Amino acid sequence: MECTWTGNQNKLPNITGYWKKDGNEIDSRLTVPLENEQYNLKGVFDIVGEESLGNYSCVFGSEAKIEFVLAAPQMGEVRDKPIVSYAGDSVVIACKMEEPKPKPSTWHWYKANGTDKALIDAAAEPHRYQIHSEGGKSTLTVRNLTQADAGFYYCGAVYLISTSLGRLEVRVITFLEPLKPFIAIVVEVLVLVAVILLYERKSKKKSITGSQKTKKEKRENSGGEESSSVRQRKV
Amino acid sequence: MAPAAAANLGYTPPDGGWGWAVVFGAFICIGFSYAFPKSLTIYFKAIQEYFSVSYSEIAWVSSIMLAAMYAGGPVSSILVNRYGSRPVVMLGGLMVGIAMVTASFGKSIMHIYLCVGVIGGFGLAFNLQPALTIIGTYFHVKRPLANGLAMTGSPVFLSTLAPLNQFLLDSFGWRGSFLILGSFTLNCCVAGALMRPVHKQIKPKPNAEPPKSNGPAHEKAATEDTHAQSAGLLAEQEQSRSSRSQGCASKFVDWSLFRHRGFMIYLVGNVIMFFGFFAPVVFLAPYAKHQGIDEYSAAFLLSILALVDMFVRPGTGLIANTKWIRPRIQYFFSLAVAYNGVCHLLCPLVPGYVGLVLYAVFFGVAFGMVSSLLFEVLMDLVGAHRFSTAVGLCTIIECGPVLLGPPISGALVDIYGDYKYMYYACGVMMLVPGIFFLIMHYYNYKKLDEEERKRQSEAMRMRSGLSVRVEGEEEHVKMSQVDETADEADG
Repeated sequence: MECTWTGNQNKLPNITGYWKKDGNEIDSRLTVPLENEQYNLKGVFDIVGEESLGNYSCVFGSEAKIEFVLAAPQMGEVRDKPIVSYAGDSVVIACKMEEPKPKPSTWHWYKANGTDKALIDAAAEPHRYQIHSEGGKSTLTVRNLTQADAGFYYCGAVYLISTSLGRLEVRVITFLEPLKPFIAIVVEVLVLVAVILLYERKSKKKSITGSQKTKKEKRENSGGEESSSVRQRKV
Repeated sequence: MAPAAAANLGYTPPDGGWGWAVVFGAFICIGFSYAFPKSLTIYFKAIQEYFSVSYSEIAWVSSIMLAAMYAGGPVSSILVNRYGSRPVVMLGGLMVGIAMVTASFGKSIMHIYLCVGVIGGFGLAFNLQPALTIIGTYFHVKRPLANGLAMTGSPVFLSTLAPLNQFLLDSFGWRGSFLILGSFTLNCCVAGALMRPVHKQIKPKPNAEPPKSNGPAHEKAATEDTHAQSAGLLAEQEQSRSSRSQGCASKFVDWSLFRHRGFMIYLVGNVIMFFGFFAPVVFLAPYAKHQGIDEYSAAFLLSILALVDMFVRPGTGLIANTKWIRPRIQYFFSLAVAYNGVCHLLCPLVPGYVGLVLYAVFFGVAFGMVSSLLFEVLMDLVGAHRFSTAVGLCTIIECGPVLLGPPISGALVDIYGDYKYMYYACGVMMLVPGIFFLIMHYYNYKKLDEEERKRQSEAMRMRSGLSVRVEGEEEHVKMSQVDETADEADG
């Protein structure tokens, strides 16, 4: 890692520079000369494992500090809301490492056990678990779900330096849960349809009896008219 | 005066009363038909992961559903012509309900294609056509308003179904959500129950020109109205002749519609228009994201569009109903289509989020206006009797541009890497039909006015000839009745 600082008002010819990791000084302090109006501080670090990751800072005297964060690639977006599935059904949960980031060497899946993480061994229980990993993507299929399978699952993208984790939640419910609103709405539909059709039949009956009455009246009237005209003609 | 086609109903529509309940039923049906396929896209990611399929494979569900909906149009028209709107809508609602419930138990993506796509799509087709048709039977004077109100179902349902579907997915997963949606769509049956067949009460018209319509109501009219009995007899003879000639062909497809001037204008213009009608809606959010706007603000643009749409549709119906616009409603429609085109052409010129918000508002107005008038102008052109068949033919022919429009626009974006060419193309594809409509309808109105004048002068001639004949016949009839009663009295 390399830091470059253009200095402040008093362009001192030399300044002390040193590296810090997670707040603690590492290596010895160096004297940094002023070259081309700049101070350059270079540090070379060996990444041996997870301990090498963290927050690095280069400090110039007591004036300037630049921070670096060394970490494994972060997991792509995973669903933060629980994935709901049904007892007896299966669930497929997936983790993805976004495109430009390097692909992990392998993927591991864990099931949360309290505060612990238990590695899922798909080979040991092939009828229950199936892991399919392909480069930057990995899916875990859990079959024959039971209530015990609900909870948090972790996907791990394994790199040489560390493993990136993503967390997913699985919820297992029975079929009775959506069945309740389903039946409620079906009942509502049946009731409404019955009410509307009954109301229609009632108002039809009323209008039929009403129109029958008016028809009778009409016939009487027209009959009366005819007879009167007949009488007229006869006369 | 509105074109003659509209006046030949043979009865006076209620224009109110139970009609408003029917409008509410149509509101529900239209809402489901347009909003349901779009709102299902929320489940796509979950289903895609569950069946481990690619995004394009899951997008097929939408395409199959839309295709089935449009292909079902003519079938729907035939059924409505035969059985009326109510049974078809109830069947449609049942079909969609059963389709969704079956899909919730689906074991492969093919099940989803078949259930949701094919059966669901057909069920929605059986909802859309009858809902539009029945408005024409209940309304004449207030029809544009009724149509506008009914078409408002689409944006209202879309705004409600989208968050509802998200909630269902989070609570029940996709299977449970499909089950609940299945029961939810059964409410279309409730809407169908509201679609009481209209009671055809006939009022004798003062200027009784021999009507050319062939509804069964007219024969009832002839028998009930004792005053115009003789005139009715003549009309009946004319009618039976015309109905016999139409008999076989009109059973399935009314091919005579293809010789109908107004219908052809509408069809040709619409086919071109639909290439560019839906694509801007589909690409609004991606365009915004392409400009660097974040996902939530981009989605908010669509909400603005839907909100504006919701209010513009009934508003347009109200305006179209006024006595200034109604007689020349085709011009109003042409202007709305052209306005759409202008909106799209101007869109790439206003950069930034504010520009996009303005565009969303203006486009919302344009989209709402065209949607509200879309079926009203067809009813205006072909009349309520032939509307069912006409709309069936229209949907199956428009199926092509509707399904091809967004992918072609997408291809334009991919080729040029910029959205502005797509907007220019869509703008042109809306502006050209708009101008086409304006010119053709000017010509059409002139022709219709000519025909109306000819018809009225003929009717006057016939009436003067008829009244002489009628008087003679009436005398004859009355004399025979007198003889009968005289015989009875004697006997």
